[in-house]
Amino acid sequence: MEIRSLSAIQSYGSARPATMPAPNDAGLGTQGNDVFRNFVDTVQNGENTAINAMTGSADPHALVQALAQTELAVETAVVVRNKVVEAYQEILRMPV
Amino acid sequence: MSDFSKAISISAAGMKAQAKRLTHVSENIANADTPGYRRKTVPFRLENGPMNQPGLVTVGRVQLDRTPLEQVYDPTHPLADDSGHYEASNVDLMIEIADAREAQRSYEANLKMFDQVRQMSSGLMDLLRN
Repeated sequence: MEIRSLSAIQSYGSARPATMPAPNDAGLGTQGNDVFRNFVDTVQNGENTAINAMTGSADPHALVQALAQTELAVETAVVVRNKVVEAYQEILRMPV
Repeated sequence: MSDFSKAISISAAGMKAQAKRLTHVSENIANADTPGYRRKTVPFRLENGPMNQPGLVTVGRVQLDRTPLEQVYDPTHPLADDSGHYEASNVDLMIEIADAREAQRSYEANLKMFDQVRQMSSGLMDLLRN
């Protein structure tokens, strides 16, 4: 075995701890949960307000406000999803 | 809650308050000929939410205008007193029209802000699109 490949293996081994996940990193999972819960809350609030406005118990300002916020949230979610799918397809196209 | 959502809710609260004010203006105008009617006004005040919540405008309790009622001379009126006068309302149509126009201008300003925030947020999201 050449000395060059040996040193390469050693450097890979030394670089491995840097890419390991932190032991108690709650980070992305819970943050993502919060974001999705917030999104679902916003959409549900929009639907409830729309129903209330149609049955006459909510005023049109609340309806417009809730729908604008729902539109904002859905737009954000769609754009982020498109980016995620795009990144996934980019990885699939990667030559192995 | 993002800044855009906060701005949208502030604008919506402003529009709601102006609509409330307009209902009382129309009530005053409708009752301009009602004997003994005192014109109603609504005070605006800042609603301080919890921490990091935006300051929304809300309407307070309805107040009655304390200016004296107009004395109208009409001896045939059922409410007329010994001198032949009765108390009409203290609504001044000029003031009510000015108030209504002010409410309209303020409503339009809030509406423009609402639309502005919407355009800004959708412009921001357009950046992420191709």
